[in-house]
Amino acid sequence: MSFDNLKMSPALEKYMTKEYRDLVERGPYGKPKKVSEMGTFKEILEEHPMCAGCAMTLFIRLTMIGLPNPEHTILVGTAGCGRLALTQTSIPFIYGNYGDTNAVASGLKRGLATRFAEQPKDVVVMAGDGGLADIGFSAVMHSWFRKEKFTTIMLDNEVYGNTGGQESGMTERGAILKMAPKGKQFEKMDMIGLAKTANVAYIARVTPTNPTRVASTIRKAVLIAREIGPTFIQAYTSCNIEYAIPTPKVMDDAKEVESARYGFMEIMSDEAREYLESIEPAKKPKAKKSESEESVTAN
Amino acid sequence: MYLVAHVDTSICAETACKLCTQFCPEANTILYDNEKKTAFIATDRCKACEICVSICDNMAKHSAIKMIMITDIENPFELSKSGFRPAEWNSMVRPKLISEKES
Repeated sequence: MSFDNLKMSPALEKYMTKEYRDLVERGPYGKPKKVSEMGTFKEILEEHPMCAGCAMTLFIRLTMIGLPNPEHTILVGTAGCGRLALTQTSIPFIYGNYGDTNAVASGLKRGLATRFAEQPKDVVVMAGDGGLADIGFSAVMHSWFRKEKFTTIMLDNEVYGNTGGQESGMTERGAILKMAPKGKQFEKMDMIGLAKTANVAYIARVTPTNPTRVASTIRKAVLIAREIGPTFIQAYTSCNIEYAIPTPKVMDDAKEVESARYGFMEIMSDEAREYLESIEPAKKPKAKKSESEESVTAN
Repeated sequence: MYLVAHVDTSICAETACKLCTQFCPEANTILYDNEKKTAFIATDRCKACEICVSICDNMAKHSAIKMIMITDIENPFELSKSGFRPAEWNSMVRPKLISEKES
């Protein structure tokens, strides 16, 4: 929650684990790292028990690089695959009960804003499609309607991967799963459309096929959530177990899905765009580029 | 016994694409040595998903990463033993295939 939490007490330094020492000395804290530098610094994410070749893990790993100030960030999550990796980061993680992630985050953000008026603290909700679109749906929508200033990231694997493959609201129509043998009968929920209706300040849809873009999307969303209002990222993170994707083909699948129905899309309110340009003037041309991408993918 | 990824450093050192380090789902598993300009694998963290192999073959088109039986690697680099110390990577004994040594 601040650099002080990371410092080692000199008397206890020799008892600290190798991993902790490496993180303090060669981690990204205080020296922001780029995606192209991966493999040359100690990452916030440690070893984790998620399945081999999981695209969700890749997305979480890239998220940790995108966070503008990891030392001032708190993660909120709930039951689901994502928490297996999120708990293995050096960022405080709050394990909400099913359905209340965005309610917990609302209170947390307001409390932190009161307690630390000078230092902006970022609250990031990361949960699965089940946790946000099905079970936590009302809390998500109401946090958007109340314009709570935090980021909601949906790890959309289009299935309840952790409990054996039940269909979720975000599963595609017709998808046959272990616990949905007849195929899903209804359409995939349009969370982007719902976010638009709720006037969310920054909405993005992304697949982990372009690591730099994932990190910059996260960065923009967290920065906008500090000042302007709620932000939402919907990320396609395929479940290679429930959708039986051979692990070497996970990225091929992500590319296929991206070109078929999950293209990169970014919707920013004018206020949010002005704010981003005011804090990062150098990135102006890039913001224009993403605007044109949006119009291409939206059509 | 099980398979782990292994980088052919002679091919990798000729390029600077670093794509495998960006697409590996495991943290600090494909490391990058800036001095020798090559990626290498922390064998103890590799879960053998082969994403790096498909990235290196199809996206980067270098074919520098192969899946190898763990018993066939000499001096495997293990992050849990060595820790994350880039300053020491230059002097460390490189992991290599046992078959390379024999030939």
